[in-house]
Amino acid sequence: MTHIYRVRRGAAARLVLPVLTALLLLVPAACKRKKVKVATDEETPRMMSVLNVADPKADPQLVKGFHGVEASAWRWTEKQFTVALRPPFGSAQKGGRLSLKLTVPQPTIDRLKSISLSAAVDGSSLPPETYTTPGDYMYVRDVPANLLGGDSVRVDFQLDKAMPPSGADIRELGIIVFSIGLESK
Amino acid sequence: MIRARSAAWWVAPPLLCLILYWPGLTAWFRADDFAWLGAGLYNRNAHDLLISIFGPRAQGTIRPLSERIFFMLGFRVFGLDALPFRIAVFVTHFANLALAASIGRRLTGSAAAGLCAAVLWLANSSNTLPLGWTSVYNQVLCGFFLLLAFHFLLRYAETGQRSYYWWQWAAFLAGFGAHELNLVYPAIAAAYTLLSKPRFFRATLPLFAVSGVYVAVHEAAAPGPKTGGYAMHFTGSMLRTLGNYWTWSVGPTFLYSPLVLPKWVLPAGVGLVSAGLLCFVAWKLSRGWRLASFFLAWHVILLAPVLPLRDHQTEYYVFLPALGLAWMGGWALAEAWRAGAGARFASIALAAVYAAMALPAALATSRWSHDISIRVRHLVEGVQAAHALHPRQAILLDGVDSELFWNGVLDRPFRLFGLDEVYLAPGSERRIESHPDLGDIAGYILPSGVVASGLARDEIAVYDVRGPRLRNITSIYAAIPRDNRPPLRVDAASLLAQYLLGPEWYPSDGDHRWMPRRATLRIGAPGAPGHKLYLSGDCPDEQLREGPLDVTVSVDGSTLTAASIHPGENAFHLAFPLPDQVAGKAEMQVAIEVSRVIRPASDPRDLGLVFGVIEVK
Repeated sequence: MTHIYRVRRGAAARLVLPVLTALLLLVPAACKRKKVKVATDEETPRMMSVLNVADPKADPQLVKGFHGVEASAWRWTEKQFTVALRPPFGSAQKGGRLSLKLTVPQPTIDRLKSISLSAAVDGSSLPPETYTTPGDYMYVRDVPANLLGGDSVRVDFQLDKAMPPSGADIRELGIIVFSIGLESK
Repeated sequence: MIRARSAAWWVAPPLLCLILYWPGLTAWFRADDFAWLGAGLYNRNAHDLLISIFGPRAQGTIRPLSERIFFMLGFRVFGLDALPFRIAVFVTHFANLALAASIGRRLTGSAAAGLCAAVLWLANSSNTLPLGWTSVYNQVLCGFFLLLAFHFLLRYAETGQRSYYWWQWAAFLAGFGAHELNLVYPAIAAAYTLLSKPRFFRATLPLFAVSGVYVAVHEAAAPGPKTGGYAMHFTGSMLRTLGNYWTWSVGPTFLYSPLVLPKWVLPAGVGLVSAGLLCFVAWKLSRGWRLASFFLAWHVILLAPVLPLRDHQTEYYVFLPALGLAWMGGWALAEAWRAGAGARFASIALAAVYAAMALPAALATSRWSHDISIRVRHLVEGVQAAHALHPRQAILLDGVDSELFWNGVLDRPFRLFGLDEVYLAPGSERRIESHPDLGDIAGYILPSGVVASGLARDEIAVYDVRGPRLRNITSIYAAIPRDNRPPLRVDAASLLAQYLLGPEWYPSDGDHRWMPRRATLRIGAPGAPGHKLYLSGDCPDEQLREGPLDVTVSVDGSTLTAASIHPGENAFHLAFPLPDQVAGKAEMQVAIEVSRVIRPASDPRDLGLVFGVIEVK
């Protein structure tokens, strides 16, 4: 059973109204749409000696092993993580000091009992440090002058263990890092 | 007053459409859009043009009107300005809404039912992608032709005028240019006439013949895939799939809500709305209104072709089927409004439940889709600006994440402005979720050794894409010490890989490079025994006319087991087991030799094979 709806105008004529209305409604969109700024930022950035890992400008120097920024302040690392740093002025003569500001969270100690952090500057190992209680720490090591002669140095960090990916978090989790830097002695 | 009401009746659905889906109107391109925009990029003659328009693409689909011509013509006229494309999508959908309201009014005899149907259809979150992603225009245009054909059928059945019958045919035939789903139209026409106008049923039978021919021709030209996500499974899973699509039609697609709700809320809402609709149908049928079952038939018939796609369930597959339930819901609302306070309250409550489930999902996903497209716009237009500043350098992108890669890099949008040499920084694969069914990330990443070499020769500009504006970080990037050993994967066509190739190779032809009878290259050696050397490229028919072509490879002077390319294997993939003694070396010297060369009249060079990629895995 179907109703026959009687109309005076044809179907085509009745389609015209919504289509014309639509065009009228869309014209402002065409006229007012914002231009997206597409210019690139060509300002030549300098490699930094000290990295706040949450700073977007530090991203290119976080070579590998870092997860995304959290709380606009820090990042989780993987078991191995690497940065590139610019040797600060004078460090090629007097030597430098590598420092890493970190947090060992309670769940890490609960799960792993202890965690050891070591570093290597351009392949030369620096002494490790072991953390057995949760808290905030500063890993600080002297770096010989002969390793700081170039425009940049590669610093590889290594943990002896990390929390493997799990259902709760699919990432491999090492420690929480806030900043990494080199300063001249 | 009557005129004003009539105008409001027509204008309200398009207005609501704009209010709900405004982010879709202002969206840019993303993902598959770039493949379609570039479909005619390399056309040299009429034959190429015909292939671009009618050749099977993307899972063997042939959609000349909604994909090929729409994008190719649009790109030619408007370039990468997305707004004209978006306006075309919205205007087509406004016509769909007008047709949906008009058909609803004709079928139910109630103008209010028609209007409510259009509004309920719009509220369904399956509208999000058709109205927010230009590649899904095929659904919108297919809907237009289906509704138009059905409208003419109704007019034919009302008036008996033969011209409407033929207009129906015209709309039906045009629909095949939009989407293969159009083939179900004869079943819709037959269901309607059987249930409501049996006198006209026979007139629908020739339509089936056309759909049958279409299926046969389509299957011959582009057989459906037998494996993967698009393989068809004619099993009990079809009922489960139908169940899923039903819930997405009366509730939010994927049962997703941006609101934090207890787990039982959405299933309970879906149950309530389903019960309301089915009770209404049962009541109508009990009173002799057989047409009530047509709305269910519309839903099932339009879903039927995708029910066997067990492993590929997509939200916009319910976009057109949902209209059947929207007509039913609109009719129920209109009837209940006249039936008294109790029925009115119940129907409004059910409509509110439906809106409360569907609208938050529609609004959130519409915004999400828009925001991705704007990120892609920043990337693509940023790379275009970078290329203008550094026309002689390849562009290396650092910081590309999953969303940006799959929406803004995979389909190589940069070739739309003539730029082939855009790569991802080494290590990008760690930031990008793998989807082997969609594409191979490795093909987009420039190996570390090639980057080091290119930076040393000032052939690469590096950009950080993490922010809304591309940032040139070439100086920092070049200062970072990196592994500069030869890579395990050499893209022979890339200008950046030229330093690894011997002097025998011919110059790159953009996306490929010819070798003569013999050519050499350096490549990284595997770290452990048991690896193979893979060669992939193209071997033209002329080269295979005299039978199989032997390919000999030697590594550091040792000849590996020979392989052959046989006639018909134009896109070749050869694998050569590597000797164990190369494991652990810094690099290998590889020589490739073919048993004969060709010298076409148009090219005086001795041509062996086209490469391609040489890779150690």
